[in-house]
Formats: sequence, structure tokens, C-alpha cells
Amino acid sequence: MVTTSSLPVAAFLVPLLAGVLLLVSGGGRRRFCEWVALAASAFLAVAGVWVAIQVAAGSILVAWGEELRVDALSALMMLVVGVLGFLAIVYAVRYSEHGRMMDAPGMGGPERRPAVFYALVLLFLGTMTWAVVTNNVVMLYVAVEATTLSSGLLVAFFWDKRALEAGYKYLILLTVGITFALLGCVVVYAAGAATGAITGVDTLLLSHIRDVAHLIPRPTALMAVALLVVGFGTKAGLVPFHVWLPDAHAEAPAPVSVLLSGIMIKVALYAMARTISMFFPAVPQLTIFAVALGCLTMLVGVVLALAQDDLKRLLAYSSVSQMGYVLAGIALGTYLGAYGGLFHLLNHALFKALLFMAAGALVFATGARRVSELGGLARRMPVTAACFLVGALSIAGFPPFNGFWSKFTIYVALARSGLWWAVGVAVFTSLLTMVALVRPVIRVFWAAPTGDAHRLDGVQEVPAALWVPMVVLAALCLLLGVVPSAAYALLHRAATVLAVLGG
Amino acid sequence: MISDLLPVPLIRTLSLTLVITSVLVVESRRLRVAAAAYLLQALLIVALLAAFASMNHALYWWAATALVTKAVLIPWFLLRYIRRTGGVEVKPLVGFAPSVLVAAILMVAFFRLTHGQAGLLVPSALAKEEVLRTNLAVASTVFVLGLWALLTRRDAVKAVIGLCLLENGVHLGLVSFAPGLPETALFGVASEVVVTVFLLLYVIEGLFKEFGTTDTFQLRTLRW
Repeated sequence: MVTTSSLPVAAFLVPLLAGVLLLVSGGGRRRFCEWVALAASAFLAVAGVWVAIQVAAGSILVAWGEELRVDALSALMMLVVGVLGFLAIVYAVRYSEHGRMMDAPGMGGPERRPAVFYALVLLFLGTMTWAVVTNNVVMLYVAVEATTLSSGLLVAFFWDKRALEAGYKYLILLTVGITFALLGCVVVYAAGAATGAITGVDTLLLSHIRDVAHLIPRPTALMAVALLVVGFGTKAGLVPFHVWLPDAHAEAPAPVSVLLSGIMIKVALYAMARTISMFFPAVPQLTIFAVALGCLTMLVGVVLALAQDDLKRLLAYSSVSQMGYVLAGIALGTYLGAYGGLFHLLNHALFKALLFMAAGALVFATGARRVSELGGLARRMPVTAACFLVGALSIAGFPPFNGFWSKFTIYVALARSGLWWAVGVAVFTSLLTMVALVRPVIRVFWAAPTGDAHRLDGVQEVPAALWVPMVVLAALCLLLGVVPSAAYALLHRAATVLAVLGG
Repeated sequence: MISDLLPVPLIRTLSLTLVITSVLVVESRRLRVAAAAYLLQALLIVALLAAFASMNHALYWWAATALVTKAVLIPWFLLRYIRRTGGVEVKPLVGFAPSVLVAAILMVAFFRLTHGQAGLLVPSALAKEEVLRTNLAVASTVFVLGLWALLTRRDAVKAVIGLCLLENGVHLGLVSFAPGLPETALFGVASEVVVTVFLLLYVIEGLFKEFGTTDTFQLRTLRW
């Protein structure tokens, strides 16, 4: 049932306008900036939940003609952006009082930095929401590129050597990469229009191009898919286009890492799935290629994660690896594959946000983020320890946590499509993930510290403003693990959108 | 025939000059000259878009947008930045002669490719028009020269200029791919480049203060 609704419009315009307001207000009091950010992101979260409820009941929301269109797949993404965005801002309010975050040079100095920070975070959330609600193939590119632009300075926010280097690489690599997506989107548009089956404004609308995608000649379809995979794949952190990801995700302030790893790379994968899946029915061999790309990504990501001593870089590489799972599931084109992939997308958003918040809590409390510099912190930071452990077990696919169910669904889906080699890679990667994530957690929280034993003596648990968002996310990981059907209504409809092949 | 509507000889001349400006942008090690060559190229693109506009009037809007963004804002940002940090590029990886040779080979290759295989990209009757194929060849050459600059130049500012070149190639290519694209889409695409350049130069200025150079080979704090 298609309903016209102003909710999708409000959902992305409110954070955008609030962000612009903060930018032009030129500083102001820090509390004011925080309240504006909290209010706008709370609105986005409520809008996300509300849209998800409506869509799970069977509606499709459209606005501005069909320029914006929210089906279950978009609604799932809106929910993730809204809820995680709000939690990240709650976390940021206390986190940003830490150390040099608001005192560094750059971006107008200490007076303007809080305003710039919250403004950019809101613009980031607004552009990501725009990317998932737009139905216009060219605007999809514009919105995804806008997410890069709004987050570029957030990556470089600390304005020291490391952050600036990460920010420079981030902006230049993602901009070059996404240019390929622009070409891909335009080829999709032009090839759809050239079929003659759609005319006028419909030629730009993804929901209409989808209906005529089977008429597009095969070489053109392949060309478009190649361009889209390079373009959106760069942004999603797929191997071999992932080189920017560990730098950016590790050097950004913790709340920004949460947004980058928790949401942004998924938005890019959403854009890729939305566009390339329309060619699966005509060229089913593409699914094998995409599953292989997913397997390569998961394996390379986890191997690189194993080599890291820096906790945030480790988490960043593990994000690369987990994106491989999501891609392998979605790329199958079957209902079960799409269900598993999207379930894992949701789960990864929860536990990776949790893990980056917990790593941020460690930095907040100790000033260190290398595994080798930490140890024996479980008694001093019990809540952080418990949350980090929940996150690590979830990502490793331990029952009764949520990661177990989504990975298991992906294994079954791969097996039912006869891709046993992919099942092998996925299971093997899962074992390595366990080693990569659980080992450092035990070292940091339960093993005796190495080196100067008294360095960590004064460490205390982080304030409630930091651990409450972590506990909420940990609880959600457990809830979806114990009651995996809690998300069924929405995931089922979202998977149906991507299930373009039978089986 | 669409070609009857268009000033074909003018388009040919503009296209050829465009390629020459691209080579100048990539090869000039004096950043001020490179920025000036970029400005010249932007003006040529505006003229080309206006010349193509008789087949889609949205292109007039795009020509105007390109004038503001590519010929005014981006050169202004570049020159303002260059004035602050000194105008000579860090020595590139590949020298002048081999670089020009590569440019020439690319150009010939793309002419052959677009004249043989244009239908691969967009299987419409329009894409097979001679004048649009030539435009596609020029656009791809500019695009690849931008990529070449990005890959072989060590200077961060030059990398940004290379990025601008790459975007110019894409924008020009859109005329051949999708002559009917509406102006809202074109406006969105064109305005993002300006923001990208602004942000990149802002970050590079920070890099220059921290590292004392714009040589990207010095950016080695983050490995693995």
C-alpha cells in the first residue's frame, strides 16, 4: 500500500537544517549546540522507529511525487541511522569533554569547535538519511558523496598529524572512488531511458528503472555493475578498496567512529545493493562474482585485524571483514541470503557501535588504545568490560548473541545455493574473528598488565553518560540473540525487496 | 540527425583545445600556471556545454553552474591557497617527456575505443552520433589524465587539481551519456566538487602546518 507521507522529508531535512543552523550561528554556547544536536537526532530516531512500524505493517511511504520512497529496505536503514545516530550523540556529549577534542586548533579554534562538531554530525546523519530515502538514481550518488563531504572534517577532527593524514586520504580516495559510482548511476539512468519502456521523470526513479532492468543489454548492465561496485564498494570498505577505512575509523573521535563503522559503510552497501540487485535476474552469474568479493573481503579483513595491536584499527579491520558477510548474504539474491545479510547488517551496526564506544571508553579512562599498553582492567571498569565482552562474543557469532543467528542464516543460505566453498570461507573467518576479537578483550580486561604495573592504578569506570548508550546496545545484542524474531516483520519485508532470484 | 543542430566544427576545436589545457594542467610544475590552465579549461567546458545546449536546454543551466563553480570558485580557492604555501610543486614521480607520451597514447586509444565501442556504454541511437563520440573520447582522456595526475604526482595540491580534472572529464562525459539529464541532478553533481575542493584544501593547509610540506610521500604516520 503506497502512502504519501511527509515523514521521509522531515526525517532528513530536520537534521540538515539543524546542522546548517549550528554552522551559521557561529559558535554560541556549547550546551546550546549539544541540545540542538540531541533534539534533532532524537527526532530522527523517533522518525526512524515510526517509519519502521508503518512499513513493517505493509506500507510504502512516498514524498515529492516518488522522488523519496521508503520501502522496508529503506526503513531498516532509517531505523539504524536514527537510533545509532542518537546514541552516538548522547555518547559524544560527555566524550567530547575528554582531552584535547574541543581544544585542538583547526575549524575555528576552541570557540567554534563544538558548534562545528555537532553541525557536521547532524549534516552527516541528515545526508545518510537522504541517501537511504531517495528514489532518484542520480541523487543517490549526490547523497552518498554528500555523506563523505560532511564526515571528512570529522575524521580529521583532532587536527594532529595522524588525524589530518587520515582525513586527507579519506576525502581524496572516497571522492575519486565515488566518481565511478556517478558514472555507474548515469549509465543505469541512460540505459533505462534507452529501453524506451519508461519516459519522463520516471527514467530517474530507481523503482521504475528496476522494472525495465531486464531490457537493458547485457554488456551495458555489466559495465554499470562494474562501475557501481568500484564506486560504492570503495565507500563500503570492500577489499581491495578498503585502504582508507582503518585510518579513518581509527583516527576519528570515538562517536564519529561509531557513525562511520556503525552506519556509513552500510549506507554505501545499501546503495550498491539497491542498484546492482536489479541486474541479478538477467545476469545471475553476477551473484557468484559478488559472493566471491564478499568472501575475499571477509577473509582479508580478519587476517589484517589479527595483526593489529591498536584496538581501534583492529575494530576497523573487523568492520571490513563483517561487511564481507553482509555482501555475501545480500549478493546471493535469494530470500534467505538477503534476510541473513540484512540481519547481519543490523546486528553489525549494533555490536560494532558498541565496540567502538567501549574502545572510546578505554581511551577516555586510560588515554591508551594499544592492547599491549592495557591489562587487568575488569575490576576497575566492570561495565565497560562486560559491554566489550558482549560485543566481542556477538561479532564472533557466539550464541546466545545476535551475531550467531545472522551468520548462521548466511551459512545456510550459501549452502542452499550450493556455494560450499563460500560456507567454508565464512566459517573459517568466523573462527579467526573469535581469535581476533576475544583474545584482546581477555588481555585488556583480565590478563595482568605488562610493563609499568602502576600506570593503570588510578583508572576508574567511565561516567554513566558514556556507559548507558553502551548498555543499551549490549541489551539489544542480547535481545536479538534470545528473540531473533523481534526484527522479523521488518527484515522479512526488506529481504523480499532484495530477493530478486528464487530459491 | 542531432549533428545538424549542433555547431560541429566549433565543438571539434573546443574539444581539441580542451585536451591541450589538460596536458598543461598536469605537466606544469608551477602551480599558479596549472591553476590558470584549469581556469582556461573551465571556460572551454562552459563554451562546450553551451554549444551542446541546443539538444537539451537544461545544459544552459549547467553551463551557468559550471561557470560559477569551475571558472570562478575552484580557481579562486586554488589561487588563494597557492599564495599562502608557495607555488612550486613537489617533484613528480614521472618526468615531463614520458608523461606527455602517456597522454598522447591515451588520447589515441580513447578515440579508437569510443568510435568502435560507444554503444557498449549506452545503447541509444544518440550515443552513436559522431560528435557525441568525439566528446566522449575527449572526456575520457581528460578523466584519465586526471587519474594519471593523482597517481604520479606527489604534491597534495596537484592531487587536488588532478581530482578537478577527473571531475571535469566525468561532467563532460555526462553530455554524451545522458544528454537529457535534468538540471537538478546536474546542479547537485557540480556543486559537490566545489565543496570537495574547499574541504581538501582546508585539510591540506592543516597538513602543511603540521608536516611542513605538501609532499604526500611524507604522510607515513599511519601504516597498516
